[in-house]
Amino acid sequence: MSAPLLEATDIAKSFFLNGERIDVLRGVSIRIEKGDLISLIGASGSGKSTLLHVIGTLDAPASGRLVIQGESVFEMNDAQLAQLRNRSFGFVFQSHFLLPEFTALENVAMPGLIARQDRKSAFASANALLERVGLTSRRDHRPGELSGGESQRVALARALMLQPALLLADEPTGNLDPATAAGIHSLLEEVNRDLGIAALVVTHNEQLAASLPRRLRLQEGRIAAVETC
Amino acid sequence: MNEGVTRRPRRSLLLAAGLCGAVALGNIGLGLHRADLLRNQAPTMLGIGMSWGGLPAAARAFRNRAAQLPQTLERTPLAAARSYLLIGLGFWLAGAALVGLAFGGLRRVRSDPHKAGVLASLAPASGMRSDFHWGTLAAYGLGFFLAESMVVLAYAVLAGRSLASDGAGFEPGVGFAISFGVGVLIALVGGFVGASHARRLAIPEATIAILYFGLPIPIVLSFLSRSPFLMMKLGHRLRELVYLSSLLGESRPELGYWLVFAALALALFLGMTIGFVATSSGRFDARFSYERFIASRHVGVFRPGLIVSVLAVLVLGVIPPLILLGIVRAAQAMAERVRIRRLGQTQPLEAARALHELEASAQTPTQLMTAISVGGVGVGVMALIIVLSVMSGFEDDLRQKIVGTHADGVVLKSGESMEDYPEVMARTRNVRGVVGVTPFLMSEGMVAARDIMSGALIKGIDPQSAGSVTDLPRTILPGGDLAWLTKPSSIPIAPDEAALVEEAARTGVGEGEGAPVELLSGIILGRELAAQLRVSVGDRVNLISPLGGAIGPTGPLPKAKAFRVAGIFYSGMYEYDSKLVYVLLQDAADFFNLKGATGVEVKVADVDAARSVMRSILDVLDGYPYRTRDWGEMNSNLFAALRLEKLVMGIILSIIVVVAAGLIVATVIMLVLEKRKEIAVLKALGVPNGGIVKIFLTEGLQIGVLGGALGLIAGLVWCVFIDRVGIRLDPQVYYIHALPVRIVPFQTALAPLVAVMVTFLASLYPALKASQLDPAEGFRSE
Repeated sequence: MSAPLLEATDIAKSFFLNGERIDVLRGVSIRIEKGDLISLIGASGSGKSTLLHVIGTLDAPASGRLVIQGESVFEMNDAQLAQLRNRSFGFVFQSHFLLPEFTALENVAMPGLIARQDRKSAFASANALLERVGLTSRRDHRPGELSGGESQRVALARALMLQPALLLADEPTGNLDPATAAGIHSLLEEVNRDLGIAALVVTHNEQLAASLPRRLRLQEGRIAAVETC
Repeated sequence: MNEGVTRRPRRSLLLAAGLCGAVALGNIGLGLHRADLLRNQAPTMLGIGMSWGGLPAAARAFRNRAAQLPQTLERTPLAAARSYLLIGLGFWLAGAALVGLAFGGLRRVRSDPHKAGVLASLAPASGMRSDFHWGTLAAYGLGFFLAESMVVLAYAVLAGRSLASDGAGFEPGVGFAISFGVGVLIALVGGFVGASHARRLAIPEATIAILYFGLPIPIVLSFLSRSPFLMMKLGHRLRELVYLSSLLGESRPELGYWLVFAALALALFLGMTIGFVATSSGRFDARFSYERFIASRHVGVFRPGLIVSVLAVLVLGVIPPLILLGIVRAAQAMAERVRIRRLGQTQPLEAARALHELEASAQTPTQLMTAISVGGVGVGVMALIIVLSVMSGFEDDLRQKIVGTHADGVVLKSGESMEDYPEVMARTRNVRGVVGVTPFLMSEGMVAARDIMSGALIKGIDPQSAGSVTDLPRTILPGGDLAWLTKPSSIPIAPDEAALVEEAARTGVGEGEGAPVELLSGIILGRELAAQLRVSVGDRVNLISPLGGAIGPTGPLPKAKAFRVAGIFYSGMYEYDSKLVYVLLQDAADFFNLKGATGVEVKVADVDAARSVMRSILDVLDGYPYRTRDWGEMNSNLFAALRLEKLVMGIILSIIVVVAAGLIVATVIMLVLEKRKEIAVLKALGVPNGGIVKIFLTEGLQIGVLGGALGLIAGLVWCVFIDRVGIRLDPQVYYIHALPVRIVPFQTALAPLVAVMVTFLASLYPALKASQLDPAEGFRSE
């Protein structure tokens, strides 16, 4: 088998709270292949989000190794990391985290603009993505004028803007009603199937997790179980 | 990823503490060395351990010490100078060694794997942060040192040549501008190279570079102006530098050196920030596309409403626009409310939308803060422009009066009066740039009318040509005439004297039977002098010279001669109007027993080029025994004082801009706090730290640019208002009718530039803070 898309080895991370050390991650290893669709489940506070942040290079672990597309992440400088996040990752968070001053279209186009695409082509691809998530009519609305489900779909479109290799979703449906959540979910699966984009979805919705082909369970800072359907 | 924020402040703290300690030690050493110094410095020394307060204290001690240096040097100049040099060098090396040890130690700690591991578990990213950059230190230090030496050397070469007789060099001002520009450029490049090498601002390196490579030159130059020995040894090589600095203030050439030093330090810092911002994303990237896009949305300064209201406040003051705004808002709200109510009855949905829009249009606190910051910068720039323009107006007025009464330049002859003045005039007239020439004779004496007496400067002139050089003919008040100097018979005789003469003629006492009124030569007095002597046109006054009369038993007797007032002039300068009197050149020569003239006055086409024109006149006249002086040289003290005043005023007013910069810091910090989540999102979307810096720097800069532009407009509006409409002054008090104003393009442009630079520097700190925010922290706070 060829080199994995992402390989995290022995990731450990601690926090200090009132002088007490809390070990959140105690040696987590994950391997993600191209086109994988993985769910990461666990109780609240089990370190799911922290692990996602570490994998997304938004947070630094105390120890461990993270190799993404054959390159060791901890040897990169800030600029290389930024580029990695820009090109290779798409992030979707529990709360949509859209930029409030910008319209839906501008939000979706933002990663392209950051990658220094010219405005015209960035807005063109953003338009296409909005069409894909079915929000063409809401394109000039600001996040404050969108519903929760719509915002989350815009956020998903933004994450797909530069066709990343890996989608990192942190409870993308946590704030949504079941029907809307299901819609987002099917969209995720569709993206994974059609575009071949791997996805790591953090959730505590067991039912949703069950529908994904691979399940990881995080318990007390370690991967407790790997279940494959 | 986290940039290891925690490490850097600690290190610079260490450095600052070390430096303070060193300064304190030096100070204590000085104090012990001289007991009275210790007594004087005791209060300031208390504060030393805590802050940079030690620096001024040390500077004062240093100055006291330096004041004694000349005497010490005079006693044993060479040995003392050498010992001081050695002590200085010793301190320099010791400091360098200390710094080297400190940073070497830090690096060892870092490279120790065990300690590094502990460190990493606390602040993981610190393992990725590189250490002290010696290359950066070299770039900063060499850049700064080179910049300083370039200013000194280039200036000495450029302006020094202008003193040579070929006149191929530059005017001192131009020469300085060129060399200073080169120096600033070098400092900028040094900062840029250093910062892009380190990929960070590298403040510790810069501090060391400035202290260790930058300080020695201004210190040596300051010593130069204090020590006659050094002046003798080095001064002639740097005479132009000394000359220029002395223009700032006769007794304080150091001020000039330190100002240049500060400017170069600023240039270095600017270079550093530019280098850091442009290359912090790993490679050179000066593009601002999405950064500007985001920044504009954040601050939203370029809104017509904001621009108009800030401009209105700047031009009209606070109250009128506020009242106006109140009226407009009230009317708007009323109209809107009526509209919504009407919509509500027919289309409730539409009405709800309109209401929502109305609420959304209300300003957020940050937007209000932004508007206030723009206004603050605007006020600073406006004040700077108005005050400097008015000061220029006063300076111009003064110059006008001086140059109008005296000439732009004079040709004099050493040691004797100029008998060959017709020839000198003929040769001078042909020099390029000369517009008019006239001979003059200047001496001192007294003017008396009846029993009132006053000292006076008596100037003999040629009425025909005087008008081509000075404004004298135009300043004669109605009732008098300059031409009457040559035709004394035309002067109307004062009625009381005429009556007296008639009386004498009738009674046959005095002048002789039927004698006409005595024909007296004409004299022209200043308005104040005429008022003091209580004379007007046609009255008799006596000129008295203490010398020049016949020799009496006790020595030379005073000599007196009667003149008739032919006119009264009003130059607008109290000193001239109360002291100067004009008579015919020949009359003056006769009266003072002189031949010819004192010299020749010259008017040039361009007043600012007076110096070079006078120099070429001297060339035409083959130098000695002739010499020339221009108006600037003749009044150098006055203009130096004015220039210093303006400089100090400019610096004081810049404090307003600095206060406004404080506002900008607060605003941008508020923005950063408000946008913490968005900063995290932007980082997740792939904006590097440099990009975040650029975004918030742009936000601060937009405030600064808009504030500067609005201040510029408002300042110009005010200047035009003062110029056209005028602000009356009491001429009895100020000797000027209205507030003068002159818009000098250079200094006017400087004000907004200073503002933009200050805002750039001000927004740097919050921008750096924003870039150091931990994205994971930003998401966690949700």
